[in-house]
Amino acid sequence: MVAAGLPVRLGPLELKNPILTASGTFGYGLEFQDFVDLSKIGGICTKGLSLSPHAGNPPARIWETPSGMLNAIGLQNVGIEAFLDEKLPRLRELGVTVIANVWGDLEEDYVTVVRALERAEGLAAVELNISCPNVERGGMLFGNSPSATASLVAKVRAATRRPLIVKLSPNAPDLVESARAARDGGADVLSLVNTFVGMAIDPETARPRLSFGTGGLSGPAIRPLAVRMVYQVAKALPGTPLIGIGGIADLSDVLEFLAAGATAVQVGTSNFRDPSVSGRLVDELAAYCAERRVAVTDLVGRAHAPAATPVPLDAGAEG
Amino acid sequence: MLEVPERSRPYLRRAYSVADVDTDRGEVEFLVKTIGPGTSALERLTVGSSARLLGPLGNSFSLSGLSASDRVAVVAGGIGAAPFPLLYRALAAARIPGDLFLGGRSSADLSIASRFSGVVTGELQISTDDGSAGRRGFITDLFAERAASLPSRYARVFACGPMPMFAALAPIVARLGIPAEFSTEAAMGCGFGVCLACVIPGAEQPFLVSCQEGPILEPARIRW
Repeated sequence: MVAAGLPVRLGPLELKNPILTASGTFGYGLEFQDFVDLSKIGGICTKGLSLSPHAGNPPARIWETPSGMLNAIGLQNVGIEAFLDEKLPRLRELGVTVIANVWGDLEEDYVTVVRALERAEGLAAVELNISCPNVERGGMLFGNSPSATASLVAKVRAATRRPLIVKLSPNAPDLVESARAARDGGADVLSLVNTFVGMAIDPETARPRLSFGTGGLSGPAIRPLAVRMVYQVAKALPGTPLIGIGGIADLSDVLEFLAAGATAVQVGTSNFRDPSVSGRLVDELAAYCAERRVAVTDLVGRAHAPAATPVPLDAGAEG
Repeated sequence: MLEVPERSRPYLRRAYSVADVDTDRGEVEFLVKTIGPGTSALERLTVGSSARLLGPLGNSFSLSGLSASDRVAVVAGGIGAAPFPLLYRALAAARIPGDLFLGGRSSADLSIASRFSGVVTGELQISTDDGSAGRRGFITDLFAERAASLPSRYARVFACGPMPMFAALAPIVARLGIPAEFSTEAAMGCGFGVCLACVIPGAEQPFLVSCQEGPILEPARIRW
């Protein structure tokens, strides 16, 4: 069922609501069947898929931090074939909107994976991960250079007719330049942000807590950083559809990212703590829109309105 | 300036094995050792407090194929004994004798021993690294000695403790040809196979996801 006011459009990508789940925090979706009605969520972003199955990094892979966590999983995944044969058909049966997250070491790897996805039925979009900080090659190496971003996105653009999302790295020297490069390369939508490179050290042994050394910081700890980045890119690139990501746990967090200029959001690390959070956020957003008699699209980018402008909402229902 | 007790740590949930259940009273028991901010917060909970629980998750120890004519061993390192009251409830119901080998660094690690008073269906053997309680030395050595001296071998070994204890125990059970089930320890982020944090090197695959394929694993599946 599609609640009134919830559908959003991000370029060519139409979603029944703006609540998505972030890659790497939602498995292949099927793991969450007991906790949430997957067909209710705006869409799920799969675990980052590569050409071949990938084992990931040795443990220790996570370290908990104040209001968040560091991870260096290293993109462990079942590979494109197993995803297409075993996961996607079941997701299709369940009526899930699936966005395939893709990564590789080389440009050719990304292109090959995206080509392989072209023949699959039931994929709403492709999301390119050019921002993973936990692998030696690929990933963030593309995202940290605007020219490498533009080149990769253009090659992938030529290989797919599907809506193309590019997931940006907050570790890039200039996020706006990266965003511009991805857009100019042919991205339909930008998702931001991936994790921030961080580190934790055991004070007794003076060794890093994670086997990879560094890890990606996620969770509510990064939310203000992510909100600032969404706001900044929305301001610099008006008209480019954005998906906001970073420590979303409550409805107020969703509203904050929408106000900053995101048309949709991805819920990430919160899925570990509360596996039913994505479905709850859809319900809460629906109730909020019904109560205020607004559509989600009315809520997008309101932080960019001049301060003197009255907030264009019917606030009558608020007692 | 009033400090609110709710803090930003811990952020994630914690994995605990169920120590025992009372189905008549609808109660579940956990044995928790206070070691950091998360366990401290749990310790501060008062009677009547509520806490959200996701579970049960993962697999269980198995008694299948065992009978009252068998004898089993239960090997625990410190708070690793936490899941064993429930196992002993099942062993008692099946009339299977089970010797408990409980080890720790010092007597301070063995306060959990009192929980097993009247519970153990076999002998209780205790060791500490420093000799402050029971025999001085590693519990795995005590187990190896005892296992070798039995007229017939243990039908199964159930173990829970830190990874170094498992690493010492694995070659012993392999040498004696005793089937074993190890309840493995790995930092878990979610508990249902998604975050992929709790991986353990596998013998025939790069990693076993502890929360999904375990946490109870046969030692032969682990790369030591």
